[in-house]
Amino acid sequence: MEEKIRPPRLRISRRIKENKVFKVKVKFDHPSFTGLAMADDTSDPVFNRAIPVTFIRNMLVYYGDELVSRLRLSSGIADEPLFTFKLKAIKEAPVKVVFIDNFGKRWEASKEIKFKG
Amino acid sequence: MLTLETNYIMKKFSKIFVISYCFSFFFFQTIFAGTVLDKFKIEGILTIASTKALQSELLKKLDIKIIDLNLKKTDSGWPVLRIEYDPDVVTKDKIETVIGEIEDPAGHKYKVHKGPLIANANLIDEENQAMTILGDMTMDLKQVNNPTVDFDSSIQRGKDMFVKNCAKCHGLNGNGYGVVAHGFSTWPRQLWAWYKADSAADSYLYWIIENGKSDMPPWGLILSEEERWDLINYVKTIKKPEGK
Repeated sequence: MEEKIRPPRLRISRRIKENKVFKVKVKFDHPSFTGLAMADDTSDPVFNRAIPVTFIRNMLVYYGDELVSRLRLSSGIADEPLFTFKLKAIKEAPVKVVFIDNFGKRWEASKEIKFKG
Repeated sequence: MLTLETNYIMKKFSKIFVISYCFSFFFFQTIFAGTVLDKFKIEGILTIASTKALQSELLKKLDIKIIDLNLKKTDSGWPVLRIEYDPDVVTKDKIETVIGEIEDPAGHKYKVHKGPLIANANLIDEENQAMTILGDMTMDLKQVNNPTVDFDSSIQRGKDMFVKNCAKCHGLNGNGYGVVAHGFSTWPRQLWAWYKADSAADSYLYWIIENGKSDMPPWGLILSEEERWDLINYVKTIKKPEGK
């Protein structure tokens, strides 16, 4: 069950206008898994522990230096999740998304916001 | 006279003792010829095929005897493989290495689990800082009153709903050890904490069920308001089992 974790990738609309709302998409190839399997469905409990549980427990969103959001996630999140959220373009500054998994490992992705038009 | 007799009895007794000791030592030595029974916590058992593949491949590769493979209800939560082997013929390290080399039909490898299970490591500084800035999970616990009139039928409906929706995580008797509970970052709550709770607990239970908490999803999206009250009325009747 060795799976490679790719660093998160961030996509932002090309045309961002000042004081307008823009969409941010983050894709993170993380093998979130409850660690449970059903090797024998006839006995109770039906699930057995198969591999150590792994999931993203926190997602932090920074706009410039400011922390604007924290998402507390659980093992119920799909593997390789895609998150989409909206922000209001109030300044030209980088948007940074940080992921921390249940082992305390940290990944981040960021992109600079520049106003156009 | 008495001393001579005592000496004689003592000599006889020690002779019998030595003979019987030697006999039992050689007897058990021959029967059990230095076999050792060992337990291995196994990672990577994902399907029925992988349980069979592990055992058959191990027997092919090593001169050992597999006692059993206990998938569930083990102390550690990990499947436990009990093996009897002769340490003069095969070592524990060798068994662990061979287990690590075997592949199941889908190509997944097994591994001997070592050390404690880390389900959730300590929060890093950045997370603590984020929680300080934005606060932990906040919840608006507005006062609500239980509208139930017929409690007996409400509790019965609540029980049916509990078995269908809640027992998988909270356990059938509310002990917080449901069948899927060990996949969560935090253990589900032991529900007997609210046994015979008064109306002061109603708001808390109502909003927790409505919005969810920790790994529990927001049941307000699935259950109607009446169903949630049925559930609350039932939860308040869940008693801690005797001797637990």
